[in-house]
Amino acid sequence: MTASTIMDPKPTVLHPSDTVRTATHHIMHHRYRNLPVVDDHGCYLGIFGVHCLMRLMLPPAVVMKEGLTTIPFIRETLQDLHRRLLEVEDSPISQCINELVTVVEPDTPLLETLLVLYKTRTSVPVVEKASRRLVGMISYWDVTSKILATEV
Amino acid sequence: LVTEGTETARLFLGMDPAWFAGVLFVMTYVVIMTDRLNRAIVSLMAAGLMIAAGLLNQEAALRGIDFNTIGLLTGMMIIVTITKKSGIFQYLAIWSAKKVGAKPWGILVMLAVVTAVLSALLPNVTTVLMIAPVTLLITDALKVNPYPYLFAQLFAANIGGTATLIGDPPNIMIGSAANLTFNDFLVNLGPLVVVVFMATLLPIYLIWGRTLTSTPERRQRVLDYRESDALTDKRLLWQSLSVLAVVITGFALADVLHVEVATVAMFGASLLLLLDNLPRSPGEQNKVVEQTFAEIEWQTIFFFIGLFILVYGLGTTGLMEDVAHDLLELTGGNTTVTAISLLWASAVASAFVDNIPYVATMIPLIKNMAASLGGPQALVPIWWSLSLGACLGGNGTLVGSSSNLIIVSFAERTGHPIRFMPFLLMAFPLMLLSLLISTVYVYLRYL
Repeated sequence: MTASTIMDPKPTVLHPSDTVRTATHHIMHHRYRNLPVVDDHGCYLGIFGVHCLMRLMLPPAVVMKEGLTTIPFIRETLQDLHRRLLEVEDSPISQCINELVTVVEPDTPLLETLLVLYKTRTSVPVVEKASRRLVGMISYWDVTSKILATEV
Repeated sequence: LVTEGTETARLFLGMDPAWFAGVLFVMTYVVIMTDRLNRAIVSLMAAGLMIAAGLLNQEAALRGIDFNTIGLLTGMMIIVTITKKSGIFQYLAIWSAKKVGAKPWGILVMLAVVTAVLSALLPNVTTVLMIAPVTLLITDALKVNPYPYLFAQLFAANIGGTATLIGDPPNIMIGSAANLTFNDFLVNLGPLVVVVFMATLLPIYLIWGRTLTSTPERRQRVLDYRESDALTDKRLLWQSLSVLAVVITGFALADVLHVEVATVAMFGASLLLLLDNLPRSPGEQNKVVEQTFAEIEWQTIFFFIGLFILVYGLGTTGLMEDVAHDLLELTGGNTTVTAISLLWASAVASAFVDNIPYVATMIPLIKNMAASLGGPQALVPIWWSLSLGACLGGNGTLVGSSSNLIIVSFAERTGHPIRFMPFLLMAFPLMLLSLLISTVYVYLRYL
């Protein structure tokens, strides 16, 4: 058995030109943690998820590399955070794609796939090595439900 | 027979020592300038080749290392690493911004002042690493362009660092080599630095200051910051400030107490390590000390070590004396011409190449000029010229100093990149202005 056995072959995908508003709608409506981002040819570019939304709600000086590690001196309200998100909701998601998520190939063995899921702690994109085409997504729920549904 | 300290080793393949050392030195410089290889690797490799080729033996190489500079740098790095955990730098930045009512120009001036003062007492790189993120937080809240703020801080860091023995690595090297004390630097360069700093702010005001505006609502957001909440560990804060006070006092009294500044810095570092770890369990102490030591800039330390050996090896060949003699012939052996020429040449060189290897090279050259210029006392204006040129020259270009590169990377991350040429067009004339002021000062005070 391989990654392709347990993946969702038709995941919801985003495109780099989609707005933050569109991505937020998908994420919040379906409670997705992460969505894969692909180009017009279906090639995998990265993921956009709730973590990216959190990032957009925080000041840039905090989330950038070598930025402030703590900000206990700022007291903002929910309105302030919502305002910050509204300021970027019409921007394309390309500004905040996470390209560093580990991916697996369709023929990655089952146990190795499980290990990647365990280590990355998020849904894992299944990507063809040569073409970089996204062929599916694997979530904890996909794997666990398929394992539990299998008779021993 | 060339190896210092032994009578048996021969230079590799019988090469001429001066020729070999000269070529190795130039090649090291070229490779450092290309930025293709880590500079610590380059300098250590060059030092290794000096020994492997037989120009120095290990004992001689170790004698070439200025442990006063190494100890001072390491000690201050440890002190800063522990101190910054208290949140004092964020506190100072926010406090200063609120002191001027969160007015954009006022904040620019205050943050520049804080940067300059901290740079005089702490490493420049650490200072900008601590102040620049708070600056970006504030400019984001005010919705103003961060460029002028970062530009002013870049200048402030290099200018402030010029004022003291510990402010900038070139000063540490010059002080150690020329026996110039903390007080010597403060008294001789401090007043000039204040004038240069104020003169630099004027053009910044004329170019950007008048156009920096923000709304009352945005200013209120900054005024709502609670600076006292930035102090995350008040016990550590008081311990750090107390140790820093002891260390600065130690620097000021080092001459009277007959101790080297490295001893003072390392004593302060070990005292702060003790205070920080005393309440912890032995297991936790190991972890905290390991984390603290991991933050020491070992690349810089080993870069210095390699460089000292390389320059020392070069010195043993007599090449430095020849070059010093040639340079003096160029200036006619006149102290005034030598000092002023060195000030300007050092600034232009430091604007484009790393000022640490530059100063490491110039120190033995200048020492070799002593006899011709009338003794060590005649070198005093030359040392100040070297310090001013090497430190202030760093403002000329984006690559002029390590702190410049840090600020550039911060600007890049917030989507306001600082480009080489536009920066050069603004910064180089400002750097020339600071040199002009320094020239008048050196001439009137020392020549």
